[in-house]
Amino acid sequence: MAMTLSDLWVMTQAASLSLLLALASIALGTALALLLTPLAFAPWAIARMLYRLFIFVVRGTPVLLLALLIFYALAAFWGRISPYTAGVIVLTLYLAALFAEVFRGGVLAIPRPLWDCCKSLGLPRLSILRRVVGPLVARYTLPPYLNVCVMAVKASSVLSIISVWELTLASREIIERTLDVYRVLAVAAILYFLMCFAIDRLGRRLEIRLAARGFAGERL
Amino acid sequence: MTEAWHKVLACVARSLTPLVAALALIASVCAGSAQERSRLDEVLQRGSLIVVTLGTVPPFAFKDDKGELVGFDIDVARLAANALFRDPNKIEFVVVTSDGRWPAIESGRADMGVGGTTVYPDRAIRVAFTRAFIDSGISIMVAKSAGIKSLQDLNQEKYTVANLNNPQMADRAAALFPKAKIITFDTPSGEFLAVKSGRAHALQIDTPTADYFAATSATDFEVLPTLLTASQNNAIYLKPGDFKWWLWLDTFVSELRTGSLYPKYAEIYQKWFKKDPPPQKFYLSPAR
Amino acid sequence: MGQYRAWLEAYGTAYLEAAAWTLSLAVLSFIAALIWGAVLFFLRLSGGTWVARSVDAYVQVLRNTPVLLPIYLIYFGFPLLGVLWPAAVCGGVALVLQNGAYICEIFRGGYKAIEWVQHDAAKSLGLLPWTHFRKVTLPQILVHSIPALGNQAVLLLKDTSLLSAITVIELTMQSKVLTERTGTAYAPFLVAAVFYLAMVWALEVLTQLALRSVRWR
Repeated sequence: MAMTLSDLWVMTQAASLSLLLALASIALGTALALLLTPLAFAPWAIARMLYRLFIFVVRGTPVLLLALLIFYALAAFWGRISPYTAGVIVLTLYLAALFAEVFRGGVLAIPRPLWDCCKSLGLPRLSILRRVVGPLVARYTLPPYLNVCVMAVKASSVLSIISVWELTLASREIIERTLDVYRVLAVAAILYFLMCFAIDRLGRRLEIRLAARGFAGERL
Repeated sequence: MTEAWHKVLACVARSLTPLVAALALIASVCAGSAQERSRLDEVLQRGSLIVVTLGTVPPFAFKDDKGELVGFDIDVARLAANALFRDPNKIEFVVVTSDGRWPAIESGRADMGVGGTTVYPDRAIRVAFTRAFIDSGISIMVAKSAGIKSLQDLNQEKYTVANLNNPQMADRAAALFPKAKIITFDTPSGEFLAVKSGRAHALQIDTPTADYFAATSATDFEVLPTLLTASQNNAIYLKPGDFKWWLWLDTFVSELRTGSLYPKYAEIYQKWFKKDPPPQKFYLSPAR
Repeated sequence: MGQYRAWLEAYGTAYLEAAAWTLSLAVLSFIAALIWGAVLFFLRLSGGTWVARSVDAYVQVLRNTPVLLPIYLIYFGFPLLGVLWPAAVCGGVALVLQNGAYICEIFRGGYKAIEWVQHDAAKSLGLLPWTHFRKVTLPQILVHSIPALGNQAVLLLKDTSLLSAITVIELTMQSKVLTERTGTAYAPFLVAAVFYLAMVWALEVLTQLALRSVRWR
């Protein structure tokens, strides 16, 4: 049995769900990460320790288990919640950890002379953030940031264990009925590619606009 | 006059006491049983049944080409909803992957589960099962071109057999063809691909699933006639400890296979397996 | 607690074996992916337009598609062409191909932090492209990318769980086998999570050590 056009339509619907889940989690995850990264550089040791603990637990635990635990724990407190809501929460937490590490790497990549310059100029904290740290981190971290965004689209596939229906589960269902493995996987790959590539291209546009003089960036 | 009134009042009061006492007793019993509320009461109050299932196990529970959930187990679940509410559509399906079944049941997210789930003693420690609503079994499928005709043929070191990730198949393989090599996949599609690509020569699969695939998507495969196990019980599973709910579900299954719901059972059995179900009682002839 | 002890006694060896598979697959694949990513990036920098474009296309395709596809193609498809590698090798190669693409992108980010002056200096010294890459570019991008590479290593470790689809009995597959057998809701995954956390902790320690040992300009 081969897959049909009807199957293709089903897969496209599932793909749009994957995309929505990913976009929502990326937006919320980035916001959460922007709150987390300062913790990594806070003057209080306990804040830094909390940050490391959060990153460690969220990144180190298999997302499958995170999804199960968070979904059923949330359900115990708030009654029946939609698996999609829980899915967004799980992905947000997971992506926030990944984004926070990416941003942290960006801050660490700022050359020391620049910090010294800021100190000697006596710039206020907010100014440093806005005019020095912000733009530089944005430039350094855009490729790894896009890496994580692209991963987000594919990461929603583990949520099938809490009944979230998305592209990977839809492909599995069609494969198990028709055994038409290669064709279905190829269609799924193309759909994923279209979504991820679109995100990537949007990001590249942003990268070009942020490119600065004096750095090797604009050649690529 | 006042004397008579007093007498009447005393009479009424005396007769009221046992009545009040009886009412108090009934109230306390009701309150008491309200604390041990069964899932059955919850389901009846809610007005719909929530069933956890898989979506990747044809012909038990799978998605058709419109993305609708269909299958033999799905129809059985609808019959249960019909028995409870006179409406087979008062039902909600929670579709998960195979590991997601147990948390869904244990946390109470679903009332019961179906989906080609086989009773197995190790599982029964943590999950409650009704009696079987269908007898399954394990068969071997081989490529028509491979030339393997029986189990004895298979029990040689040069052959590799693809298994699914379940304990029955592992045990059968160890018992019946220990010399063959075993590779384990978590889906039937992996098994079929393994045989098609030459990494395996045969695969173990549930008998109804084997028949389904032999008729539809895997026409270049054939099913070996030997049944690897006597019979396997595919049943409804639920959270243990709730006798009232288990009793209703078990009664429902009993009526399906041997009682008043048998005609409907025969109808869905014909629809999915193209043959008659086992007869209601051994001394009765099958459906028609 | 007693339940977990019984579990560990019964299934502890199986878990240890599975954990050994996960760890060795992750370590070997990561080292190979670093090398492959560096090669890809070098080709992209100094190969001329067509080479750079093909590397870019390769990176785009592998980043943006689920890694299950190369895994399936190599495990199920290659035998049809006569190439029959063991399951772990097939999975490892697929992981290297994909993570090499990710690492190439990470290097691209680290590259931006190198000042243009350095490349001018290297050119004026007459360094060959490969020497330029090896002595000037690579050390600096490695240093700048340490947190992102550490991240990627953790993700690679988690990605080894996908090899359960092609019969490799690693930690996730082991948990699935036990869940199927016993109908337990969380315990098998929790035990696997402890192993994963231990490995991730080791990776984090390594990343921190690497960061500390680098001297900042």
